[in-house]
Amino acid sequence: MRVRDEVKEAAIRKKAMELIVHEGFDGLSMHKLAKAASVSVATIYIYYKDREDLILSLCKEGMERMTEATMKNFDPSMPFAEGLRVQWKNRASFWMKNPIESQFMERMRHSPYHDKFVKYLKKEFTDVMYQFVNTAIKNKELIALPIEVYWSVAYAPLYQLVKFHMDGAKFPGLDRVKLTDENMEQTLQLVVKALRP
Amino acid sequence: MNVHFNVTTMTTENSAILVFKTNLSSPECIDKIRTVLDQDPDILQWNVDGQDKDFVLRIVAIPTLRSQAIIARIERAGYYCEELD
Repeated sequence: MRVRDEVKEAAIRKKAMELIVHEGFDGLSMHKLAKAASVSVATIYIYYKDREDLILSLCKEGMERMTEATMKNFDPSMPFAEGLRVQWKNRASFWMKNPIESQFMERMRHSPYHDKFVKYLKKEFTDVMYQFVNTAIKNKELIALPIEVYWSVAYAPLYQLVKFHMDGAKFPGLDRVKLTDENMEQTLQLVVKALRP
Repeated sequence: MNVHFNVTTMTTENSAILVFKTNLSSPECIDKIRTVLDQDPDILQWNVDGQDKDFVLRIVAIPTLRSQAIIARIERAGYYCEELD
């Protein structure tokens, strides 16, 4: 068993995600990272083979943490509206609590690493989500749709609200947009209505 | 458990990681040292980070392998190699 200095390792991981979020993948070099995390370059290489090894390791861990958070209090046999509400709450709460990690994952999703990113999505997780959708279709709570259409309606509105909140977005003449239980529920109701047969 | 940890090496009972700054800047250079490193039973795994400006050579080896032995071998192959700090 290898004994690791967990404090150093955590600092490296945190700073790596920050650099990628703020400066893009090109903004991450081992030298820059060492400086930002106050460790030596050699220390980083103790933990990771190279830049890609580090990025993929961050991605794998992020995916596991995100999946675990999404599954909290969730049961695929739940009525559709209730299950989707749990999913929304879990996903929004993960974003709020882990903004850098979430933005990092978002970048991974839309990068050349995409294929590797998808591989880290555990089969147990996708199975549960498919089960949830199929049960809802069978119970006539949900229309059968191509997955990208389903996802765009079922989840994209939530992520837009989260984005508004995180960015501190403002509509002309109004206060900054905040994600609240009220506007989340209002949006959710519309989504459920749109997806109902 | 006998564990030793410092900046450039991490040693456990089964393996140690050694990292070096080199000028192994192209796949051709790496090919030249490949035979030397692949044939060494003390070396469990190795790679060169071609994206880094120091072309870092990272070696996972048995704990008794000394950095000096690696440096000597890389230098003998005609390349620059020093321990990375």
